[in-house]
Amino acid sequence: MKLSTGDRWDLIDKISKETVTFGAYKHTLKDAIGELTVKPMTGIPVAIAIMYGFWSMFGSFAGFFTDGFFVRLFDAYWLPWLQEVFPGQGGWLYAIMVDAGGIESGEFVLSSNCLESFGVLTSGLFVAIGVVLPAIIIFYLMLALLEDIGYMPRLAVLLDTVLHRVGLHGYAIVPTILSLGCNVPGVTATRILETKKQRFIMMTLLAIFIPCGAQIGIMQDVVPDLMGWILLYLIIGYFIFGYILNKIVPGKAPEFLIDVPPYRRPMPSNIGKKVGGRVRGFFMIAIPFVLIGCALVGILYQLGVIQFLGDMLAPVFVGWFGVPAETAGPLIAAFLRKDLAVAQLSVIEMTKYQMITAVVLVSIYFPCVATFAMMLKEGWKELLGSLAVLTVVVFAYGGLIHLIGKLLGVA
Amino acid sequence: MAGQSSGGAIYFAILGIVTTAFGLADLLVTVSGSEFAYGGLEIPGDLFRGGWGGIIVLFAGLFYLSGIRNFDDIHQFAKVAMGSILIWVVAGSDIFAMISESIPSWNEETGPWFNTLPGFIGAYAPPYAPAVLLLPFSLVVIYYIRKRASGEVGGGNSP
Repeated sequence: MKLSTGDRWDLIDKISKETVTFGAYKHTLKDAIGELTVKPMTGIPVAIAIMYGFWSMFGSFAGFFTDGFFVRLFDAYWLPWLQEVFPGQGGWLYAIMVDAGGIESGEFVLSSNCLESFGVLTSGLFVAIGVVLPAIIIFYLMLALLEDIGYMPRLAVLLDTVLHRVGLHGYAIVPTILSLGCNVPGVTATRILETKKQRFIMMTLLAIFIPCGAQIGIMQDVVPDLMGWILLYLIIGYFIFGYILNKIVPGKAPEFLIDVPPYRRPMPSNIGKKVGGRVRGFFMIAIPFVLIGCALVGILYQLGVIQFLGDMLAPVFVGWFGVPAETAGPLIAAFLRKDLAVAQLSVIEMTKYQMITAVVLVSIYFPCVATFAMMLKEGWKELLGSLAVLTVVVFAYGGLIHLIGKLLGVA
Repeated sequence: MAGQSSGGAIYFAILGIVTTAFGLADLLVTVSGSEFAYGGLEIPGDLFRGGWGGIIVLFAGLFYLSGIRNFDDIHQFAKVAMGSILIWVVAGSDIFAMISESIPSWNEETGPWFNTLPGFIGAYAPPYAPAVLLLPFSLVVIYYIRKRASGEVGGGNSP
């Protein structure tokens, strides 16, 4: 028996009348609050408050462990002990593994803290465990909480219009926020975007403008007063260059449909699993890169490669970006470890504005090796495209920041 | 019942005015670039707590004030509840920061790892930021939420 379209609708009506009960639905407080958080007039203040809570908790938690305990553990106990027991003080292996030190009046001088020693077992471990681990744990804990409550889809709806301006849609907030923890899962999460154009724009913006948890952790530790300005420059850059990319990259940026779930009480077991899984993933992927990156930076310093490149590029850094010549070395080393590069920058004497410029440059300069490898996995054409955009962005945006500083009379 | 509702509306109207005033004060102090302290009140002058936090306190006040008209309507009451939630976020962050700062000794080289008992207790002493002072008053919303949940206040959509 074949039914016509009209017959089918009649049949659907008949079945629904027999099976579905219709009644007046009473809105609950949860429903009403849910509606408030997706309407721009009320939702934006809520989003501003959520982000405030997020960063405040992040700073307090990371500060509690890093400054309260790990700085002392590493600087007062671990570093002096290693400096004493590790053989070959002043040698190249000692410099790479424990302390590169410095030369004062022709004599080798040991570093006084783990941010200056640049050894794998000192700076590497301190950054990985003392700085990044607390930052990552609280970051993923807060993110899991927001996901479990049901706030993330609402944030996606709220930001949909803004993100469409840069060729993305509301769900692009997921890879963006994930990247603030670690760029690697952020790049993987770009797969939730539908078109090649969207994935390319997202991956490029992540690699350039989103600092990872390691870098944020270090920034929070060494330049806490400048964090707001640095993040502001990065957010502005994200939207300016996203807008330009949306105009020049061919392809479609479709609308998205999303089912916004009701607010729910978070489940500790869910949150535990999510945080545990993500922190484990971070340890497996990112921590080896921190340690290997630290070793490579040490080797390149010992071979004089970074010094050579730094000297060669110093005129560009000084003239175009307006930062001191000494920053050339850390900026070159930033390819391997952005967090260590920020730490290196923090000990160079420069003005506040130069520090902001230098740290923004570290962020936009090049994706870290782990992200680089992940982008390559997503496709070499996309990687080359992203790198081409990145080169243009570094010079254009870095120069623009310098120009703004000059116009304001602070550079 | 109507008396309770109008009582609630008056209470949150007053709280809304005070909260809005605190939010504006937060922003003014931040713009001036210095801190302000009076008795148990301390308005931070930094961009994060004073500026960003101040904007949220201001929004909380505006949520209260916009929610008091037709207080029984669930959508209006949700605005009042949201005002309290915003205060809880700022005050909760401030209290968490106090807890984080009260436990370690902050000695970089030697001495004990943890704070002394007087130091620990002293970390919770006044003055407090506006959001922390507003916190107990904002908790009154829980009473109205429970009333509404138990059906003592006319819930649901207003006609």
